[in-house]
Amino acid sequence: MSKIMTVDVLSSIKGAKPSEAVNQLFDVIKNAHPTNNNAAVNVHNNAVSLDDLREDVVIESSAIEKQIIIENFPNEKDGYLVVAKVIED
Amino acid sequence: MESQIKKIHQQLVSKQITCTALVQEKLELLKQNTYNSVNSLLDTLALDLAAKVDAKIANDEEIGLLEGIPFGIKDVYMVQGTYTTASSDLLKKYKSAYTATAIQKLLDAGAIPLVKENCDSFGHGSSSENTIFGAVKNAINPELVSGGSSGGSAVNVAKEYTVFSIGGDTGGSVRQPAGYNNIYGLKPSYGRISRYGLMAYASSTDCVGPLAKSIEDIRIVLNVMSGKDGRDQTSYVSEEISEASVLESKEIKTVGYFKNFIESEAIAPQVKADFLASIEKIKAKGIEVKELDFFKSDTLVSTYYTLAMAETASNLSRLDGTNYGNRIEGENLKDTYSITRSENFSEETKRRIVGGNQVLSQGFSDAIYLKGLALRDQISANFDKDFKEVDVILSPVTPASPPKIGDSLNDPLAMYLSDAYTVGFSLGQLPTLTVPQGTVTGMQVTAAKNNDATVLKFANFLKDTL
Repeated sequence: MSKIMTVDVLSSIKGAKPSEAVNQLFDVIKNAHPTNNNAAVNVHNNAVSLDDLREDVVIESSAIEKQIIIENFPNEKDGYLVVAKVIED
Repeated sequence: MESQIKKIHQQLVSKQITCTALVQEKLELLKQNTYNSVNSLLDTLALDLAAKVDAKIANDEEIGLLEGIPFGIKDVYMVQGTYTTASSDLLKKYKSAYTATAIQKLLDAGAIPLVKENCDSFGHGSSSENTIFGAVKNAINPELVSGGSSGGSAVNVAKEYTVFSIGGDTGGSVRQPAGYNNIYGLKPSYGRISRYGLMAYASSTDCVGPLAKSIEDIRIVLNVMSGKDGRDQTSYVSEEISEASVLESKEIKTVGYFKNFIESEAIAPQVKADFLASIEKIKAKGIEVKELDFFKSDTLVSTYYTLAMAETASNLSRLDGTNYGNRIEGENLKDTYSITRSENFSEETKRRIVGGNQVLSQGFSDAIYLKGLALRDQISANFDKDFKEVDVILSPVTPASPPKIGDSLNDPLAMYLSDAYTVGFSLGQLPTLTVPQGTVTGMQVTAAKNNDATVLKFANFLKDTL
């Protein structure tokens, strides 16, 4: 079953609506005529080659890094992050 | 202007000044400044580091060129243990857990970080007014905007509160404020400097960029920050640019400029006249100048913003107040997400996230996003063709002088269109330097991708020519 999601839901921003200024930018693109519509032929190939991937290993964070991550918790109890109960709908 | 880094280095080595006195003086200037260029001062860290440099000098130990040189950091870079707010309510109490690669390289070279600098929130803006720390005022005329998004960094350099600053450039955010405050600002080739630890705006054009008062200081800082980094797999190995190579510009024989930029109705008459007068001076030096065809400004701006908004909507989706940030509790998890994001993002940031989700959603992605990608490819192909004919492309930085504070926030479309001359080079991932010459907001010097040295060479030639 398809479900249409509005931009406020997609963006997780209450009451968000498309803006007129931004729509004017998009209209320029809609009316443009690129010579090649195939975006798969992308000249910006910044992907790393398979021979050059970084090692697939776990890198342990330093003690100070872990401590700061905990300091940044918005809500904390006994050193654990407190999150809202997930409600499926 | 001569290299400030070399001048201060000499003063430190010859014991004319102490590093502690230098750092204290700059911290005091930053603390008292009325330009809103500062988000937070790193005074304890800076003074500790300065004392260590002084101890080395007192022991007659050799110090490196950047050792003891005070610098500023746009508040979108991670520096372990410091607040990194992105000038936003959401992250106003967020502390970096680690340090960005580019900044770490400067710290390893001994440079001293003084300040996290004000900017448009998450880089979203061209005026440094979209910030919770107050609009950044222009260094030359405080009634005008500083430009953005790296406005605080440009003002700190222009006022000499920092010797150099590190900004971030996605669509012109280093080059435009550099132009508005009459200093040098470089957007290097995409990938030359690692983006690890730079808060992501639009990942495919985000670049780390130095701002300084001389070409030599830009060169020194660029060399230190460049290089491949396993933590940013778009980064690559690059050759160091030597001082001698920058002084030699004979190989640059042909320069181009985009005819439609100069014939546009949007360009101010004075900017046009000054730009064309500069072109004449370059011709008089025996350099061939070619007029080039390019995409219309509205196509460039629309392509850039379509892709940048799509990327920022994705990048900022992680900011939901779960693990960090100013969480505002709702009735359930989804409600918490949406209240946190609604209350903590600025209007401009929300506008861009919504725009990004629009173009990425089913039914729109083919008509807008994929077409934007195809246009970007054409723009890049156009650059490839141009750089077979010319060595360097020159352009104004902006069509007009900086607007008054308050004007840009009221007219977002006008703000987007003011980026007309900078965004194309970002889409091409090209090296582009703003030089404080040629027009009231300077000129951009651009070369083919990875030819960052050519840009510095030609800037040096312009320094003696204009």
